[in-house]
Amino acid sequence: MQVKLAVAVLAGCAVASAAVFPYRFETHTLANGLKVILVPMPAEGLVAYYSVVRTGSRDEVEPGHTGFAHFFEHMMFRGTERFPAGEYDRLITAMGANANAYTTDDYTCYHLSFAAEDLPRVMELEADRFQNLAYSEQDFQTEAGAVYGEYRKGRTNPFEVLEEALRATAFDSHTYKHTTMGFEADIAAMPTMLEYSRRFFARYYRPDNVVIVIAGDFDPAAALALVERHYGAWKPGYQAPRVPMEPEQTAPRRVEVPYEGRTLPLLAIMWKSPAFDPADPQVAAGLVLGELVAGETSPLYRQLVLERRTVQRLLPQFQPTRDPGLWGVTAMVTDEGELANVEASVAAAVSTMAAEPVSAKRLEAVKKRLRYSFLMSLKTPEAVAGALAPMVALSGGAEAVDALFTTLESLTPGDVQAAAGALLRPERSTVAVLKGRS
Amino acid sequence: MRYLAMAALALPAIACTGTRPSPSPATLAQPPVLLPVPEDPTISFSISFPAGSQLDPPGKEGLAHLTAALMAEGATTRNSYAAILEQLYPMAAGWEVRVDVEQVTFTGRVHRDHVDTFTGLMLDAVVRPAFTGEDFERLRQRTESFLTRTLRYSSDESLGKAALYAEVFGGTPYGHLPEGTVAGLAALTPEDVRRFHRAHYTRDTALLGVGGGFDAALVARLQRELAALPPGRPALPPAPRPQLEGRRVVIVEKPGPATAISFGFPLAVRRGEEDFYPLWVANSWLGEHRNSSSHLYQVIREARGLNYGDYSYLEHFPEGGLRTMPPPNVPRRQQLFEVWIRPVPNDAAHFALRAAVREVERLAREGLDESSFNLTRAFLSKYSLHFADTTATRLGYAVDDRFYGIAPPGHLARFRRAMAEVTLAQVNASVRRHLRPEAMVIAIVTESAAALAAALASEAASPITYATPKPPQVLAEDEIIARYPLGIRREDIRIVPVEEMFER
Repeated sequence: MQVKLAVAVLAGCAVASAAVFPYRFETHTLANGLKVILVPMPAEGLVAYYSVVRTGSRDEVEPGHTGFAHFFEHMMFRGTERFPAGEYDRLITAMGANANAYTTDDYTCYHLSFAAEDLPRVMELEADRFQNLAYSEQDFQTEAGAVYGEYRKGRTNPFEVLEEALRATAFDSHTYKHTTMGFEADIAAMPTMLEYSRRFFARYYRPDNVVIVIAGDFDPAAALALVERHYGAWKPGYQAPRVPMEPEQTAPRRVEVPYEGRTLPLLAIMWKSPAFDPADPQVAAGLVLGELVAGETSPLYRQLVLERRTVQRLLPQFQPTRDPGLWGVTAMVTDEGELANVEASVAAAVSTMAAEPVSAKRLEAVKKRLRYSFLMSLKTPEAVAGALAPMVALSGGAEAVDALFTTLESLTPGDVQAAAGALLRPERSTVAVLKGRS
Repeated sequence: MRYLAMAALALPAIACTGTRPSPSPATLAQPPVLLPVPEDPTISFSISFPAGSQLDPPGKEGLAHLTAALMAEGATTRNSYAAILEQLYPMAAGWEVRVDVEQVTFTGRVHRDHVDTFTGLMLDAVVRPAFTGEDFERLRQRTESFLTRTLRYSSDESLGKAALYAEVFGGTPYGHLPEGTVAGLAALTPEDVRRFHRAHYTRDTALLGVGGGFDAALVARLQRELAALPPGRPALPPAPRPQLEGRRVVIVEKPGPATAISFGFPLAVRRGEEDFYPLWVANSWLGEHRNSSSHLYQVIREARGLNYGDYSYLEHFPEGGLRTMPPPNVPRRQQLFEVWIRPVPNDAAHFALRAAVREVERLAREGLDESSFNLTRAFLSKYSLHFADTTATRLGYAVDDRFYGIAPPGHLARFRRAMAEVTLAQVNASVRRHLRPEAMVIAIVTESAAALAAALASEAASPITYATPKPPQVLAEDEIIARYPLGIRREDIRIVPVEEMFER
């Protein structure tokens, strides 16, 4: 069997219009609150199945439980009474599914890609583990060891060390203060938290906190009937945590981060960002500002990376978050002596954005790039569902995609300038500088 | 430096004149690989050359990689690199290059709205690179920093794998990383790069691939313009055939709380050969990449929680931490059987190594049983659908088919047919023929190298303790694993300080 993805819809879509998402989709909400988004698309017999739990490390509000959303993601593979872990693995293996999961600040996502004929079985398995997860204390403790291993794996990466310090400095109250992996002391204590894990499941793994996204080669009516059959009896009861609000930042912050290994110094310059709202021009302006300030065609990139060669990597990070978060620029600097110059250059580039409107031509080029890169990423059912997952998690629905692009399309140079002036101010910033051993 | 930059600009101007149609038009020696998908509004490109790092002259390790990097991320005789980025930007299109020991492959993808401009820019990069002094320094610095900072200190897993390949293939053209060595990079000049480009990027060795919604005119243009490359078919070094005797260990000493382990040995079978497909079944059962069904994963992670994952391979698999499916465009004439143990706590390193070697030896000795065989075969029959789920990846596989001499419909089709036909007897016969773990190289990145070396050589027991209770059958097996003999002599263990890695 050949896998050939027909992406004809992409060709027919008018990329100049604000409606960018090229596939028709249906959204259904069951009586228990479970939302299902069905995206039938030509896919030569492949289907992607995403279960998006709208709980991530953001929801870890209780002290001592950082990293728990991610840890729980691991536990979801430990089986049920009906399909114990070994049997679940055997069935997934037999169908040759590509299955995995990941956790972010704002959500936890379980995803499988498989042959269309296996959709009924996949749904049966997924619905079962989301409702009837059952694991022993031993399994729980063993998995805690694997999570600790994952933490160790990441500790040699200076970017992870930088991020941990950056968050801890930038936030006072909000749970974005810790990374998705969590604090090491909390990870080490995980084996003792069996009871807490059961409460966690009962509280967050509820239909009114989950969205299923199915994309690919399937019949939507048949799929919806299966969803109702397998998930219809799932009892609602999601209890939203009280995520502490972050007070307004009023002064610049700074942290020096030591790193055990050797690395080129890293410099992160971040600002507090607005909460995701696809209709908010400031959110859309953030996507544009990232490109304008530090994208591959920005004056800053040309100056620092190509001409002066004082920066090896320049990374704009302006991704939206559910609550007000962080966005900004990270640079891998070639020499510690250049750190101050690079920081000043970034500050100057940001000041320019606030002082002068970007040219209409330049803004149009950025909008065009954002549209084309989104469209060109939708290559497979997995890519389509994967692109929808964050939008769905942050906003609750797939409509956010077109809404965001509509807002983006309507941005004027004045909007971008105003957003830079309002958001990228020094008193909203946190600078983190990581230096390795010499 | 200024002088070098000017010289760099001068040379390719000569090549530029060669792009005009000559009286007897030159052609590419190899027919293109074409994968038409008319309804696809995007077009995927692949242009590959046998210009990999095995061709690096001794003392100039890194030349092939830097040449390709400069082509992909540098100026051409027509545009500065900044101007190229500027033009590509609104298309959200671009190309990248993969440099391995044998092949260099440029791949790109663009929406057909922009295909003309994109094609011109990509052809410029391959045919008319400028190799400016500024670009040369920028990319040489970046590569040097990758070796001395990122690889030595920021990713123990990649470091362990690199140490394994260096130890197995040491002294052969496969013996250094494509990125080269610190000394090799320091010795390079822009003139070396220009000469390498002239010698190894030729119309007689270029292989063009196009997939998606292209038309015949595009293919003709690509062929015509690539034919402006000089002629030539430079000799390739013979494929290395390392002969291991017994077990050899290299321990890279580096401070840190966790130990990364890779081990392996050369395989005498390659993609396309009869034994390859049944052996794939056995390997998939043992250690399918990033898959919890893998047996090693079950033993080391699932039952004991020692690390994040444990996998095995029949083919080179770069960027294993970032990818879930095998990458195309890393074909090799000589492959390793390789096991990758993701970082374990330092005090569990000896135990984890024993557990993994024991499982490989058991597989080599006993083969698969009927039910494991049936399950793995069913798994691979469908899982292989994910190997190439885009036109660009299928194009990559089709290009690799040329390298391995696999006739259409190619490796993936043969793979799926083999999964329908293969028998348990064939799987176990291939295991007996090719899995010979009595000779292997073990690469370890850890903190207390001398202590681990002494423990390995003395076969000291390595009992494991857990913070949490484990089932009796796991504990009983632990007793066996903790004393499992590895058969390593102290004189076959070498300790290398991390600072010396990739130095020369």
